[in-house]
Amino acid sequence: MTRVLVAMSGGVDSSVAAALLVEQGYDVVGATMKLFCYGEDVPDRPCCSLDSINDARRVCQQLGIAHYVLNLESSFGHDVVDDFVGEYLRGRTPIPCVRCNTFTKFRDLVKKADAIDADFVATGHYARVQNGALHRGRDHTKDQSYFLWGIDRAVLQRMLLPVGGLTKPETRQRAHALGLEVIAEKVESQDICFVPDGDHSKVIARRLGAGTPALATGPIMLSDGRTVGEHHGYARFTIGQRRGLPGGFMEPMYVVAIRPVDRAVVIGPREELLGRGVVAREVNWLGPAPALGARVEVQVRHRAAAAAGELVRVDAGEIEIALEEPVAAITPGQSLVLYDGERVLGGGVIERAGRRSELPVMAA
Amino acid sequence: MPKHVYLDHAATTPVRPEVVEAMTPFFGPRFGNPSSVHRWGRDARTALDEARERLARTLGARVDEIVFTSCGTEADNLAILGAWRATRTERPAIVTTPIEHKAVLATSHRVAAEGGEERIVDVNEHGVVDRASYDAKIDARVGVVSVMWVNNEIGVVQPVPELATRAKEHGAVFHTDAVQAFGKIAIDLSKLPIDLLTISGHKIGAPKGTGALFVRRGVRIDPLMHGGEQDRGRRPGTENVAFAVGLARAAELAIEEREAECMRLEQLRSRLEAALLERIPDAVVHGRGAQRAPHILNISVAGTDSESMLMALDLQGVACSAGSACQSGSVSPSHVLSAMGVRPEIATSAIRMSLGSLTSDEDMTRVAELFPALIQKARRLAGQP
Repeated sequence: MTRVLVAMSGGVDSSVAAALLVEQGYDVVGATMKLFCYGEDVPDRPCCSLDSINDARRVCQQLGIAHYVLNLESSFGHDVVDDFVGEYLRGRTPIPCVRCNTFTKFRDLVKKADAIDADFVATGHYARVQNGALHRGRDHTKDQSYFLWGIDRAVLQRMLLPVGGLTKPETRQRAHALGLEVIAEKVESQDICFVPDGDHSKVIARRLGAGTPALATGPIMLSDGRTVGEHHGYARFTIGQRRGLPGGFMEPMYVVAIRPVDRAVVIGPREELLGRGVVAREVNWLGPAPALGARVEVQVRHRAAAAAGELVRVDAGEIEIALEEPVAAITPGQSLVLYDGERVLGGGVIERAGRRSELPVMAA
Repeated sequence: MPKHVYLDHAATTPVRPEVVEAMTPFFGPRFGNPSSVHRWGRDARTALDEARERLARTLGARVDEIVFTSCGTEADNLAILGAWRATRTERPAIVTTPIEHKAVLATSHRVAAEGGEERIVDVNEHGVVDRASYDAKIDARVGVVSVMWVNNEIGVVQPVPELATRAKEHGAVFHTDAVQAFGKIAIDLSKLPIDLLTISGHKIGAPKGTGALFVRRGVRIDPLMHGGEQDRGRRPGTENVAFAVGLARAAELAIEEREAECMRLEQLRSRLEAALLERIPDAVVHGRGAQRAPHILNISVAGTDSESMLMALDLQGVACSAGSACQSGSVSPSHVLSAMGVRPEIATSAIRMSLGSLTSDEDMTRVAELFPALIQKARRLAGQP
């Protein structure tokens, strides 16, 4: 019998994933990763709390499969939380889920799979693996392929994403049909799991100390250098943000840059938010690397529409995309993911919006 | 799947049929409240008194020296907090070891939180209390000394009679957590200078939710709970007659069988240990340099990790444990091994196998084959880039 290790959060997606694999005749082993210490300050989290571990265990018991709790606190702290905090300190906006997939789920968990002779690793992600290539989930409104570009491509050979072919309502239906009433109607987690109340500044303060420059007072400026206000920590801002900015301008103003060197949050009108290209680092390809000049579709944030572009530069560890149409709020620290239709080609961490464009640019 | 092997008797044991039989009437017709004046009450009261008497006998204690509790943890709490609070003004300090069960360690920390002075003695690399450190920490300010008799993770036996003698010389109350010692070590409280002693039912074939504290006559303890006069006011609340009867029965059986069972377990453990050390020459058996109770074997192999080994063993039907599980059920590094100065890479690979009533010769053969094979595989994987 082929053994699969399923990462189970106690939520509906991974529970149904496990159940479907059992149905398909796999020898399924469930595992819930304990990624940070559950203090008493996380009472009602839909995911990652002690209750969620208990939910996962109950689902496994119901499915008649083994369940383990894996303590990955130390590597998660290092690979994901430290990086998260460091990125904010550098004035960027990280996506910890990407690094969690890359390092925690599809590296550390794969090692655990090896240890128990599991041929496959499965998760409840809305994405699909077809012929060794990663594709978007069938339910585009739930598609999570954007978070998976960083994984080791070898792992694609042994990765199962059983709910990637379902829509969310279908997944819930299956949960009911399978009798998994414990989790069938659980509220979906939206926040970052280790930022329980959605306020990431608390995590930053805990790790870096309340006196960190990232949370210290600084100027709000226009791009011409004029100071127009004050903020209480540049780490509270992200590119494209409007909340927390001073009013009184002729047109809506957005955060267009964050400069840790003078702790400045730079704001400007929508026009200044538009980028004509994207530069990304830490590039990872999930298949053969596309050739220079390749026409691709790119996505610069989760849930953003794909934009057409061209791969115009490939240097050591850095790529640049020229965009056909300008894209708003290209944010350092977020991911640049390259697609060929439904297929994920690879991606990287956005370093900055590109300055040049080889292509004619439409007026904004 | 081959036969399942349960090597986690230090975690819990199955309830013995004799114990179930002894308890059954109290879930049925003999349901009375021991405090009631009528016949049902009298009947229950008689059963409770008899259980107390029988349990006392297994310990060399007097009837009034036994307090029934809901578990070992409650008994540890009652002993330490109760005795410390009773003499805290004159004797604010508590002495304990870093390798105690959490039931004692956390209670000792609680004492500190209530204004007590916590003194933790050193243990040597074998997990035995360092005598010089122990002696230096005991003086006239110490109210309570608590040293476990048999360590639950590594099985090492502490020289409790000597340590108790020393504590008494300084007028301190001496408590020992004997949860893993009862039924393994000869205990005669009529001859030993121990004031307070904890036992737990589910480690010896009684149900979970049973425990007892021996409180020597004349030793004062403040109760943790307040209510009726049950157990001389030391443990108010309607007595769990069925469980008291079950605990007494299990204790009797454990004492009757102690010598033969210990000899049997010692042989099985020695065989397994020898086989594992022969097949994994660089394996580390913790506490091997000290006297150990016969039912615990704690072994580490560098280059492996407890978590993966426990999963792999479980999937092969072999139940072991590692360190102490946290509330989530995940494995944390052992505070016992850290206190012994065991290197982290060795500590994080520790696997505890604990033998008991379910353990057979056949089990040892199976584990002696399986464990080295899994270790070899884990090491091969760890060697991969």
